[in-house]
Amino acid sequence: MRSVLFAILVGLVGAALLHIVIVLALPQFTGKDAYSRVLGLYEMDSFFALGNEPGTTGLANEDPFLRVAVCGFSVSSGPARFLAKGSVPFWSLSIYDADSNEIFSMNDHTAVNGNLDLVMATPIQLVDLRKTPPESLAQSIMVEMPDEEGYAVLRALAPTDSFQEPARNFLAESSCEPFRR
Amino acid sequence: MFRIPLLVALALCVAFGVGIVSTVSALKATVGFGAIALGPWVAFPDAQTANTDPYAKAHRARAGKLLYGGAEGLQFTASIDSDGQKLSSGCSYDITGVTPPARFWTLYATNANDQPMKTDPALPGAINAWTVLRQPDSSFIIHVSPVAEPDNWLAVRRIGAFKLVLTLLDTPTAGSSGLIDLAMPKIVKTGCPDA
Repeated sequence: MRSVLFAILVGLVGAALLHIVIVLALPQFTGKDAYSRVLGLYEMDSFFALGNEPGTTGLANEDPFLRVAVCGFSVSSGPARFLAKGSVPFWSLSIYDADSNEIFSMNDHTAVNGNLDLVMATPIQLVDLRKTPPESLAQSIMVEMPDEEGYAVLRALAPTDSFQEPARNFLAESSCEPFRR
Repeated sequence: MFRIPLLVALALCVAFGVGIVSTVSALKATVGFGAIALGPWVAFPDAQTANTDPYAKAHRARAGKLLYGGAEGLQFTASIDSDGQKLSSGCSYDITGVTPPARFWTLYATNANDQPMKTDPALPGAINAWTVLRQPDSSFIIHVSPVAEPDNWLAVRRIGAFKLVLTLLDTPTAGSSGLIDLAMPKIVKTGCPDA
């Protein structure tokens, strides 16, 4: 009887260890995390506007008033530049790394002239850009990217049906491209 | 003769069974630590950041949602009413009061698994800061009900338990520490009409 209790006790200790191991290891192998889903769209270096129904990747416009576009990007070969302009009542952008940690977020009130113009670059690329600033980046916000890969989420607000068209156009005309001098 | 192998098997069964069940239930029960609760409304302002806890990281990796960044907004979810009872789509609720300061807010309903509730597109399944009808003091009353209501009506389908999602866009709430003083609208049950 005592040995059965001892076995259960050992089992409970093992359960606690297993609990900790699963929680810590889960982000590495779910395959359902937001970055894997963004990569599953097979659309690198351009904003992909999501539909209202979850597609094969399970990403969709969840909020009925917010239209969402995502873009997977990499700064390994050069900085990435994000551009968007248009007349929507509100837009916002978040940049996440491959582990879905927020690196940077902004909205139209924190942008220059209300237009999105953002450059993500590695620390070395940033030094290079600041030493000889290209003319076209005079108005750009430059942000350091700790990792090489990540994804961007751009949201445009359509409070009523008449704003659906501008919001769609705003996302369709936004760009997420490697920056070349 | 089989005593030792049996005991080993018992220990392993307990370890894997309890370990997996406790992990799955813990990740289902909550988004993680660091929640701010204002009445029935719960939000996780740090769930998308790098310095959140391991439970939140595991939860967001499993859910795979596109979370809101700090400058974008803060999402509050309510699965209970102001009396602490679970929201049920068989009942009608009144959401009364004002939201914390924000440039915009949206309100919609989800099912118990956080998927948007599919209401008839002809019915008002979501309300926002521009479309809501307000009192003279700019507070509002929103009727959440499966049957039609006058004034602000948020239509829900009869699917049992559901949640309400209130998203504040560009709000100082996300970075504020004095959250306890902020007023969120109350959710009051007004009755359960017969099906």
